[in-house]
Amino acid sequence: MAQQVVMPKQGNSVESCIIVEWKVAVGDKVSVGDILCSAETDKSTIDVESTAEGVLLAQLYAEGDEVPVMQSIAVIGEAGEKIELSAPAAQEEVKAQETVVLPETKTAPVVSSIPSVPAQGASPRAKALAEKEGLLLDSIQASGPKGRIIERDVVAAKGQPLSALARQTALEQGLFAPKQGSGIGGRVLAADLAKAPDTATVASTDEVTEIPVKGVRKVTARRMMESMHSTCQLSLHAWADARALKRLRAGFKASSAELGLAGITINDLVLFAVSKTLLQFPAFNAHFLGDKILRFGHVHLGVATDTTKGLLVPVLRNSDLLSLKQLSLQTKALVAKCKDGSIAPDDLTGSTFTVSNVGSFGIEAFTPVLNVPEVAILGVGTIALKPVEDEDGDVAFIEHIGLSLTMDHQAVDGADAARFLRSLMDNIAKIDLLLAL
Amino acid sequence: MEQYDLMVIGSGPGGYVAAERAGALGKRVLLVEKDQFGGVCTNRGCIPTKSLLNSAKQYRHAQEGERFGVKAEGVSFSLTDAMAWKEETIKTLRSGIEYLMKANKVTVVFGEAKVVDAHHIQVGETTYEGAYLILATGSSPFVPPIPGAKLAHVLTSDQILSLTEIPSSLVVIGGGVIGVEFASFFSMIGTKVTVIEMMSEILPMMDGEFAKLMRRELKDVDFHLGCKVEEITAEEVRYTDAKGVKQAVPASLVLMSVGRRPNTQGLETLGLDIDRRGVVVNDRMQTNLSSVYAIGDVNGRSLLAHSASRMAEVAVANIFGNKQMRMRYHAIPWAVYGNPESAGAGITESEAEKLGIPVRSQTVQMRANGRFLAEHGKKASGLVKVICHRDTQVILGVHLLGPYSSEMIWGASALIEAELRVQDVKEIVFPHPSVSELIKDACFALDHTL
Repeated sequence: MAQQVVMPKQGNSVESCIIVEWKVAVGDKVSVGDILCSAETDKSTIDVESTAEGVLLAQLYAEGDEVPVMQSIAVIGEAGEKIELSAPAAQEEVKAQETVVLPETKTAPVVSSIPSVPAQGASPRAKALAEKEGLLLDSIQASGPKGRIIERDVVAAKGQPLSALARQTALEQGLFAPKQGSGIGGRVLAADLAKAPDTATVASTDEVTEIPVKGVRKVTARRMMESMHSTCQLSLHAWADARALKRLRAGFKASSAELGLAGITINDLVLFAVSKTLLQFPAFNAHFLGDKILRFGHVHLGVATDTTKGLLVPVLRNSDLLSLKQLSLQTKALVAKCKDGSIAPDDLTGSTFTVSNVGSFGIEAFTPVLNVPEVAILGVGTIALKPVEDEDGDVAFIEHIGLSLTMDHQAVDGADAARFLRSLMDNIAKIDLLLAL
Repeated sequence: MEQYDLMVIGSGPGGYVAAERAGALGKRVLLVEKDQFGGVCTNRGCIPTKSLLNSAKQYRHAQEGERFGVKAEGVSFSLTDAMAWKEETIKTLRSGIEYLMKANKVTVVFGEAKVVDAHHIQVGETTYEGAYLILATGSSPFVPPIPGAKLAHVLTSDQILSLTEIPSSLVVIGGGVIGVEFASFFSMIGTKVTVIEMMSEILPMMDGEFAKLMRRELKDVDFHLGCKVEEITAEEVRYTDAKGVKQAVPASLVLMSVGRRPNTQGLETLGLDIDRRGVVVNDRMQTNLSSVYAIGDVNGRSLLAHSASRMAEVAVANIFGNKQMRMRYHAIPWAVYGNPESAGAGITESEAEKLGIPVRSQTVQMRANGRFLAEHGKKASGLVKVICHRDTQVILGVHLLGPYSSEMIWGASALIEAELRVQDVKEIVFPHPSVSELIKDACFALDHTL
């Protein structure tokens, strides 16, 4: 007659144990006192001994399953013995119970038909340790059976202890503590906290390429950070009627080569409009220097330029004085110098307002970052069709160009920026009139 | 050709520890020694000087025992017996190393190692091959090119340990650890000792206040600081003093202890990076050649026996085991075993200032301590200083001057390594009565709150 072995009771506080590893396979002979499996309580690991002699006929739970104490975990009997087993409801999750008829052969899988708790979750010991250490179970890599988090996973995630100072410093300054420090036995010292997370903890090294931050990237990084740190940036987005722009551009393109106008782009027209509009809004053609604001009599327009080395901003001097053709030629010359690396440092300094155009990528609107100490920067987006209701109440789809104005709220107010942007929209919509001025 | 996992050149406290640790890991290890087991430490440094200093201290105690109720008459000092005691100590320790090598199945070859390349060394006619090479060739006393430096009565620390007669007068050139220990020894056995130091203070690693007290405590030794030795003659040592005035001091014997030089000769063929201090290594003790490591004095990073032993462990760990292990220098203790002893770990206040670290410190007098008072009396001097970071209160340095300093200082290293703060140290229970309690007292002086 087959006998069942139960999960032994471990004192009064333990309600269940997790089977960590089966030591005996189905079909193996066992004697009383032989270790059938190891199990984990929330306090220790125990060995479950066989209370019967014979052949292990069935493992009623898989590794990683949580089993209430005094619940049957194994069936032991004579080789080939047929057992009819109604597995007791071990878990709430265990709904369906099946009668298992053990096959004659030793090698046939038995446990597969036994319902078990779903994979995942964590052992009580793991949960207790994670709680004690203040670790989130979600963040811990499981190595237990069926993807269960067991104690060793929590230990691994816990990392090395922090020194008293490191703990204090980490709390006070919110710093990152690596799992392995530079102190005794890998203890984490205060100096280790300042270090960025080890790339090895993020991904294996063959997935990571280390690129030193230098050159244009370094300058941009510093300038952008400085901008975000030292200004109060606010962006306004608008659309301007782009029909005049498109019409003019088409006209220039089709014009006689002798005129030299074929190269004038939409962007040139926008730069032209910006230069003229800024003359009416000196507050935006300015530098904010903390204790004073410098307003400039002429416009020196920064033109954000994408190069293989990174972002460069050449300066179009006195752009308000230039004819559209002059502006277009000079812009092209500056951009070409940026791209081939021959731009002089002087051509990269002294702008009073900057324009950044990402319209060719289909971007509608964005929040350009101020080119400090300038008070504002205009982002130019793509040209897209916008529904507009005309005087008769008909809706027409009209081409509009996206405009994003970021301004420094330290120097100007939102209403000032709105007025400037409104004026710019009007000037762009009536760019042909502006050209006549 | 015999093949090894690791070949070690030099059996000092760096080399033999490397061989021992690697052998214990079951690696095939070759240890080559050109002279005797133990290197400078066992044969010509730490151990012989401690033997001799012990003899001198015993002599001093016998002379000064009367106030403690011990009357000794006809007390004399026999340099011959002291030297014999020293030799016996050395021999015992050497045989201890020999036993350790056997126990860890290290193959030992005596002879001069010729480095062929990173994986081959030659001793005599035999060539050995190894996957890794640890250079632990040590250092030698440096003799500066001063006129007269090669005279017969001008000795280095190596030679002075074989002295057979007590000199009537000794001039020690160089007031570092070696110079001060010998000055203390010879002054205790009746030699008229003068120390000439080029810097403005002796013992450069020591807190200034402590060095000054050390000079005062070495009351039988004359110190001439900020002086430059110009010439040594058969009768005297001539020097220019701090004010630029030419002076001379008579000397029947001269000890040249101005520093040590790494033993890098013969390593040139390897193509190693060698700088002013020695073979350049990273914090894993690895040289520019990935399979070649250099530990101890030859890398010049910390010329202390215990540093060499630790470097050995770091090197072997990185070769065969824990690749995370790194050499840390910030808490390495040092000790000067004269009479009185002194020891330190971590930074001094002047170093903190140079490094721009804001610190606070408290110094307590040893005579405030029960055990010190019982054994030395209220007129004796001794100091304990604890230095902590001004903002975080973490212990950054501990400096001791007085008895047991060398035996206590490991605790200070542990405090610094563990990054304990003043408030943490105050929670540790120190044994009473013991001089070590003063470390806790200094911590309470830094912060009296509970």
